[in-house]
This record gives sequence, C-alpha cells and structure tokens, in this order.
Amino acid sequence: MSRLTARELTLAYEDRTVVHELELAVPDGQVTVIVGPNACGKSTTLRALGRLLKPRGGAVLLDGQELAKIPTKRIAQSIGLLPQSPVAPEAITVADLVSRGRQPHQHWWQQWSREDERAVTDAMERTDVQSLAERPVDELSGGQRQRVWIAMALAQETDLLLLDEPTTYLDIAHQVEVLDLVRQLAHPTPIGSRGRTVVAVLHDLNQAARYADHLVAMKSGRIVAEGHPKDIVTADLVREVFGLDSVVVPDPVTGSPLVVPGAPYSPSRLADVPAPATTSERLRHP
Amino acid sequence: MSADTVPVRLPAGYSLLRAGRGSFLVHRRAAVVAAVLGVVLAAVCVAYLCVGESFVAPAEVLKVLAGQDSPDELVVGTLRLPRLVTGLLVGAAFGVAGALIQTVARNALASPDIIGISQGASAVTVGAMTFGVTSYTVLPYLSVAGGIVAAALVYVFAWRGGLHATRFVLIGIGFAIALRSVTSLFMTKGDYLVAQQAQIWMTGSLNGRGWEEAAPLGWTLLVLVPAMLWAARAQRTVSMDDDTATALGVRLGRVRLGLVLLGVVLASVATGAAGPVDFVALLAPQIARRTTRTAQIPLLGSALMGAVVVVLADLLARKLLAPTELPVGVLTAAVGAPYLIWLIVRSRTAGGKA
Repeated sequence: MSRLTARELTLAYEDRTVVHELELAVPDGQVTVIVGPNACGKSTTLRALGRLLKPRGGAVLLDGQELAKIPTKRIAQSIGLLPQSPVAPEAITVADLVSRGRQPHQHWWQQWSREDERAVTDAMERTDVQSLAERPVDELSGGQRQRVWIAMALAQETDLLLLDEPTTYLDIAHQVEVLDLVRQLAHPTPIGSRGRTVVAVLHDLNQAARYADHLVAMKSGRIVAEGHPKDIVTADLVREVFGLDSVVVPDPVTGSPLVVPGAPYSPSRLADVPAPATTSERLRHP
Repeated sequence: MSADTVPVRLPAGYSLLRAGRGSFLVHRRAAVVAAVLGVVLAAVCVAYLCVGESFVAPAEVLKVLAGQDSPDELVVGTLRLPRLVTGLLVGAAFGVAGALIQTVARNALASPDIIGISQGASAVTVGAMTFGVTSYTVLPYLSVAGGIVAAALVYVFAWRGGLHATRFVLIGIGFAIALRSVTSLFMTKGDYLVAQQAQIWMTGSLNGRGWEEAAPLGWTLLVLVPAMLWAARAQRTVSMDDDTATALGVRLGRVRLGLVLLGVVLASVATGAAGPVDFVALLAPQIARRTTRTAQIPLLGSALMGAVVVVLADLLARKLLAPTELPVGVLTAAVGAPYLIWLIVRSRTAGGKA
C-alpha cells in the first residue's frame, strides 16, 4: 500500500526540466531511500513529494488526493519534512525549536497541550538532545544541530517523514545513530505497532543499501531502478548510474550489498609499471 | 490538584496561561520586560507633562490626568497632553511596523524608514504640499497612500518566485533613494515657504500636533489590535526558512503578505501623523528583542520601546536647546544613525547573517 505516490511527475526550475514523468509509489511503513549522482533530481523529487515544489506536470497524490488541492496545514499533519539546510530563528533555544514542530497540531487559542508536551519530550529523547534543551541553537555543533532539527521533524508526529540528506554535517557515529533512528521509526519494536513511512535522500550508496527497505536509483531525472537493495544493487547498476567501476560484495555485518569502488589512483598504475613493490620485494632490491 | 492543573513541561522560558479550553504560551522574560517598559513609559510620560517652558509639579500632572480641577489644566491638558499622546502612538506604531517588516525580511536593516515606505509617504505628502494642499486633515491620508504604493512597488520588484530577504532590502533602499530625489524635486520646484514647511515635516516633528492627528492614529491602532495579536502568533513561523515553515503547514505567501501589509499601514499612518521620525522603526524592535532574548521580535515590547524612544526624544527635543524646539526626528536620527552603521558593519563581519 502507498499513501504517497507520484504520477507522471515532471519538475522544472524556470525553463530547465529536472525530473521527467516520474512514477513512484512510496511503500507504507518502510524506509525508502533515493540515491543518484549530483543533480540527478533526487532532492527535487523529495521537495515535490513534500509540496515544496509545484509540479510542472503530473501530480503528487496523498491518499489519492492531489497534494496541490489539500490545505497545507492538513498536509503538515500527515507529512513531515526536513530540508537540506534549515535556518533557525536567531537566538532560539533547542526546546523552543523542537516545540515548533507541533505547529500543525496547534491553534492560536490552543498553543500548548499535554499531547504537545508528550510529543516534544519523546522526540527529544529519541534524538538524545534533552540535555541541550535550554541551549541556544546557534551555539551547537553541526552534529547537535542536525539532531535538534530531526527532533523538530519527529515532534510533528506525522505518518510520513521526508528527510533530505539527514546525515550531512554528522560524523560517522552520529550518521549511524540517525540512520538507526530512521529504521526504528519505520520498524518499531513492539510487534503490531504501526511504523512510520520514511523517504530519505542519501549521498552514500552503501548507507542507502544498508538502511533502505526500498531503494530508488535516479539518473538525469529518471528512475533507473527501484526495489530491495539486495535485488538491484549490482556493479552494472553502479556503472550505469554513477559511471563508476566497482565490485559489489556482501556486507560482512548485514549481508546487504556493499559497493567497493575500483582501485584508487596511484602513480605507478598510471605509468603502467608493475604493481607497487611490497616491503619484502623492496628489501630484496634496495 | 486535579489532573488538569498539573504543571506541564514547557519549552524553556515559557509559561502557560489557561483560559477555558484555550491555552496560551507566554514568554516569561518578554512579559517582565513589557511590564518594566510599561512602568518606564509611564514615568517618561509624567516627566514629559511636567517639563516645558514652565515646570508643573508631578502631583498636579496626575491631578489633571485624573480629570480633577487644577490650575495647570491649560498647560498640561490642552498644550502638552495631545502632543504626548501623538508621540506615544507614533512611537508604538513605528515600533510594531519595524518589528513586522524586519521579521518578514529576516533582516534587521529592513525597517520602513530604510526600505522606502517612509520615503514614499514623504514624496506624496510633499508633492501635495507644493500643489497647495496644506490641511493636516488631508495630508495623513495622502502619506498613507504614498507609503502603501511605495511598499507595493518594492514588493513587486523584489518578488521573483519568492521573497529573498537581501533582494527585498536592496531594492527597498534603491526605491528609498529614488523617492527621496522625487521629494527634493518637489521641494525645489515649490514655493519657498512650502519647502520650509515640508522640510520640517520631513524631519519628523511633533511640534503643533494635537488631537486632530492623535485621534485617527489612535482609532487605526485600536482597530488593528486583533490583527496585531494574529501577527504576534504568525511571526513564530515566518522566522524560519521557507521550506521548514511550509513543511510545518504555514501558508507562507499569505502570512508574509499579511504581516507586511499590517506593517506598512502602521508605518504610513504614523508617518502621516508626525512625518518620518527616522530610525524609530529600526531601533525599537532590535532593542526590544535584545532585552527579551526571544527567538522572534516581541511586538508588545517593540510597541512600548517605540513609544518610550519617541516620547523621550521629544522631551529632549523640546528641552535641549530651549526655547528653540528641535524636530523629534533630529534626536532619533542622532541615536539611530550610529546604530545603523554598527548594524551594517556587524552584518558584514558576520557574513550577512542577520
């Protein structure tokens, strides 16, 4: 089942068409990751799925209804979105920023409820930012700030969550933390409890293959392949999409496909001389 | 304690105000600052009524304000009070106008007296003066019209599929310069006496302002109170970047237009009453924000701060070179211009982040 779908979606900036008649059904309760080379239209597609960009042609449908025809506040109760580089108001505190994720659930006469409190506390615990609650966002490190923004998007408590490169600015440990959180959102531990649907744009193909239930590979505004990473990630696909020679091996930890790029640059390789001498060889020929 | 009154955890620095089914977030520090500013404003107002060509004891001033018989009724109630009220309202209106436009443009430089709104009001008013319109009952409406037209022009030219803050400010500054030269043209073309009168009006002066100016301004502000309450709430979301605000379900275009429109009307109405009192709209919101330390510019704080600045400046303007009365705009400019320079210098070193 898919609550969020794109039908013949064509997206353009001024007169430059970026995405061509894209068909996409986002599977409910799963992590969908969009990958592709720079400027392939993956972020643009995500923006359109979150009604930040009006389609030039076709439509994005939420529960079968055209996004453009749903009031934006009602969309915000179903779809949360974290843009690539969000800007916080000057001098805002962490708790204040996270609580603004409750905006679509509030009214001017009802600015704070028990439900708001629960959602904000929960979001801050999940992203481990409670200890920063009273700090100004300006003063945080890149990694902390990114977690605060994710907390804000979580506090919105929407069934669908769109994340545009959520791991930028994060070191590897925090990247893994965020991606684990993303999987946890889609597949919560108590069996039977409903998971959220996540769509993320990621830069790192290996992370995408590791964390996605559904992988979408895009090139020049078109979908080249989509499906479970195990089924679609091959050396041929990597060459076709990224123009990169690679070897695809099973990830030693998860068994998901791991893309290992071809040998790195080395002066001897280019000069067409024999492979670099090993230590023992060097010892023999001083 | 019933389940309903158990204190809930709130974002840091806020208190919850409950009324029936409603619940309102109040920033504690902003509330305290507003209360303090209220007291300061009251004190400045009493001082304003005391000081002048003749000194009136505070006790007598309070008597007049309370409506009791007093020998100083004429000086305080008839001569000084209307001018004070005009200054008060003008300051408050400029304060709120500046706060709103700075919020929408996300730039501390974007105040109505920098981006051409005051200049639009001036151009039309001075133009009308040179063509013989000198009645203070007509001129305010003309300046409101001028301000709105100027703002509309800036908005239209700055709009390119979206409102980019820096472009908005730069185009505004361009229009401000262009409109100022239109004003100069009218002044050189017009009669010498008219030019002099226009010159005083353009510096921003409360000299000779009375109930005829205060009343329409007061009514306008009163009518706009609900709009300002809406604006105070709407400001919360507009201060984020466009994508995030939209993702949170804000109809950004409409909210922005509403806020700008409100700000422009307030600035134009105030300009109509007292001329472009320079820098109040630029200064008041920023001082208010720095004292409340809120994430957005506090509207009530800006209104009170604007009122304090204008009343205090006019008090000094009347007293500093007595018996010569300076236009109040000279005083506000003396404080505001260095601040503007500081803002520009700071924004350049901070990579344009404001």
